[in-house]
Amino acid sequence: MEHQVKEIKQGINLHLLQKDKFKTNLIAVFLTTPLNRENVTKNAILPAILRRGSKNMQTQEAISMELEEMYGASFNCGIDKRGDNQVLKFYMESINDNFLPKGENITAKTIENLLEIIFEPLTEDEGFKKEYFEQEKKNMKQIIEGKIDNKARYALDRCIEEMYKGQNFALYKCGYVEDLEKLDRKELYNYYQNLLQTCKIDIFVSGIINDTIQETIINSNEIKELKERKPEYSQITLNVTAKNQGQTVQESMDVTQGKLILGLNVELENEDMQYDALIYNSILGGSANSKLFQNVREKASLAYVASSSYLKTKNNIFINCGIEIENYEKALKIVKEQLEEMKQGKFTENDIEVAKKCMIDAIKTIDDEQDTEIMYFFGQEFCSIKLDVEQYLERISKVTKEAVLNIAQKVEIDTIYFLRN
Amino acid sequence: MEIIENLKVKEKLYIEKLENGLTVMVIPKKGMQKKYIIWGTNYGSNESSFIVPGETEVTTVPDGVAHFLEHKMFEQENGRNSLDVLTEIGVSANAYTTNDHTAYLYECTDHFYEALDEFMNYVQHPYFTDENVEKEKGIIGQEIMMYDDYPDWKVYLNALQAMYHKFPIRLDTVGTIETISKINKEILYKCYNTFYNPSNMAMVISGDFEPEKIIEEVKKRLIETKANGEIKRIYPEEPESIVKEKVTQNMEVSRPLYAIGIKDKPITCNSGSKDEIVKKHIAIEILMNLIFGESSKLYKDLYNKGIISASPSMDYEFSRGYAHILISGQSNNPEEVYQALKNEIKEMQEKGINEADFNRLRKSLYGDYVKEYNDVTDIARMFLADYFKGINSFEYIEQIMLVNKEYAEQILKEVFNENSMVLSIVAM
Repeated sequence: MEHQVKEIKQGINLHLLQKDKFKTNLIAVFLTTPLNRENVTKNAILPAILRRGSKNMQTQEAISMELEEMYGASFNCGIDKRGDNQVLKFYMESINDNFLPKGENITAKTIENLLEIIFEPLTEDEGFKKEYFEQEKKNMKQIIEGKIDNKARYALDRCIEEMYKGQNFALYKCGYVEDLEKLDRKELYNYYQNLLQTCKIDIFVSGIINDTIQETIINSNEIKELKERKPEYSQITLNVTAKNQGQTVQESMDVTQGKLILGLNVELENEDMQYDALIYNSILGGSANSKLFQNVREKASLAYVASSSYLKTKNNIFINCGIEIENYEKALKIVKEQLEEMKQGKFTENDIEVAKKCMIDAIKTIDDEQDTEIMYFFGQEFCSIKLDVEQYLERISKVTKEAVLNIAQKVEIDTIYFLRN
Repeated sequence: MEIIENLKVKEKLYIEKLENGLTVMVIPKKGMQKKYIIWGTNYGSNESSFIVPGETEVTTVPDGVAHFLEHKMFEQENGRNSLDVLTEIGVSANAYTTNDHTAYLYECTDHFYEALDEFMNYVQHPYFTDENVEKEKGIIGQEIMMYDDYPDWKVYLNALQAMYHKFPIRLDTVGTIETISKINKEILYKCYNTFYNPSNMAMVISGDFEPEKIIEEVKKRLIETKANGEIKRIYPEEPESIVKEKVTQNMEVSRPLYAIGIKDKPITCNSGSKDEIVKKHIAIEILMNLIFGESSKLYKDLYNKGIISASPSMDYEFSRGYAHILISGQSNNPEEVYQALKNEIKEMQEKGINEADFNRLRKSLYGDYVKEYNDVTDIARMFLADYFKGINSFEYIEQIMLVNKEYAEQILKEVFNENSMVLSIVAM
């Protein structure tokens, strides 16, 4: 059994990915909760506070020293937006015991350390430690303000914000400066305790897994203290909620190159059509053979980056081009022509075959990277029809030209965003 | 064929030097779906002056030729672009240029041999025309402008320019709009014929392969070429001193970015000194972490003061003719980071290194080296890049336990020299 899921308690799943081809074991814990303005900033700051110190490893220095001693085990945490959910992510990776020079056993220790950092934070009079809380508030402010630093990423985030104005999906995953000011360390601690008892929890272990490892998790004090829950979170929906009918938004910043982003809606009738949409996207802008790459870059020589990506959780396609500012009209015209050609069925059986081959290749390698495989199965948690990797392969190989043409009719431009100087 | 086995990471390297001078390396990875092949030439953006084997005159070409050539290699005489052909076959192909090498690659699960035909064909058959060279100037122009908007790229490049007076590492790999405008097909052919000779190239393959079989398949697809003589590479004479200590550029960023450079004496990649290079590299990795890693006193102090909020990235970069350390990150006060770093180095030089800290960080680095053998892409790229530096990548994991505290203290005194330090800042 490749991917095994065990319900530890209602709402808390343990996913086991038995792999013996890696040098490392990777443990991941995801806490999933609805995305909303009230909690987005709170959720975003939590991993930052937690990584500062736990009950038994009270400083970052203590955590780092512990990990270094474990042959450079690495701890990572972060925040993600997945559809209308916000996900708090925690990872710990360590060398598989077979590759340690003295045959030590550090895998169990890895699990214990990760669980401790997440579930047993360092507290001070019923709140998070003041020093850590205050400092991470300042750091978070810098991270939020730092979103302008990566211009391409910023342009995409802004396009999403304009598309989903007034809706939860518009929210920035790291939260808002004005909400940070209002946080209180005791309230935040209580909020976190409540979150731990109510949110969806997924624990993944990838690597060489034996019974001891499972027991270490299931019998740990941290997991024992968690209650059963009926977690609230959003599944993938097919409703298109961005309704801007081709609005244009332009913004000025100190940039050398213009960043053109088009946000498209794809109106699907059922979840299964998402696999056809993946092939549609691949032909449009998913590879070097795609229409966008060929026409915007290779033929018109207007861009170095010209691509598109499909966001399954919201049924949007985002087209992304880095262009000379004065070429805005020219580039936009070519991009629109490509969408029109797709609608008119001006793509070949061969284009479909190529797109399928690309996708199949990518699907087959899911198994070669531990994190990729974990993210694949975590993604399936939000689908009503769950596919394993084999079924996914099979479904993609069945996509027809007709199905892709059908998708093309359902694609509409929602927002055109241009970051210029 | 030579077989080198590493018992620590439990991997084998099969290496063969073919008659035409090409070196082929295979690192089999059982059970992996992904197959990866990379073919590189020992030629990067640093080589703009050289003597072609058999000639006496020095050839000098505009900056950015190696990268331009990389873009144009995909163009074929039949009008097709090999990148498209490879994509159609169902493999994912790419190429990149660094300051010391250029590499072509693809990865796939199926259709490996079908793709190998196209791959080896295009790298061995350049096709440049006035028209296709002109067209590329627009695309590369946009690539250059894209980098102009990356503050982290700017702060890095400015640090190099503060360290190096003349050595071409100070220039952007892609060249400038002005230098690429001077590139024509004659220049491209000349560079191709000089540097893309098999004796100047190496190929690395990783995945679930039978080494003997894949090497035979490679041999079958090689066109007949003779190994040419030595290419004389001409680099400008670089003084030991830095250019200037501090450089600042204004850009729209939320918080200043800094890059601190420490210029080192260039390492010669002659055989015999190979072990020394690896040992020195390991010692510097450990030292950087002792000084500014996440468990260091300096990191803790600056973090608690709110001056930094994440660990800096720290690298030792070296190749033919240059070597330096780069420490970079974001800070509200880069000047203070710089001063504190200098003080910390001085203190460690005077007081010596704590043995327990040294051993712990060496252990940690050991684990990092093991992790590099998880992914076929990482493995192949690492073996190629190290090969062009005269290093077999296994050496790192073999040598690490031989690096001791006393040796690290010696390197600390030799390399972490106050007068060789520069500070580059990008801020509003």
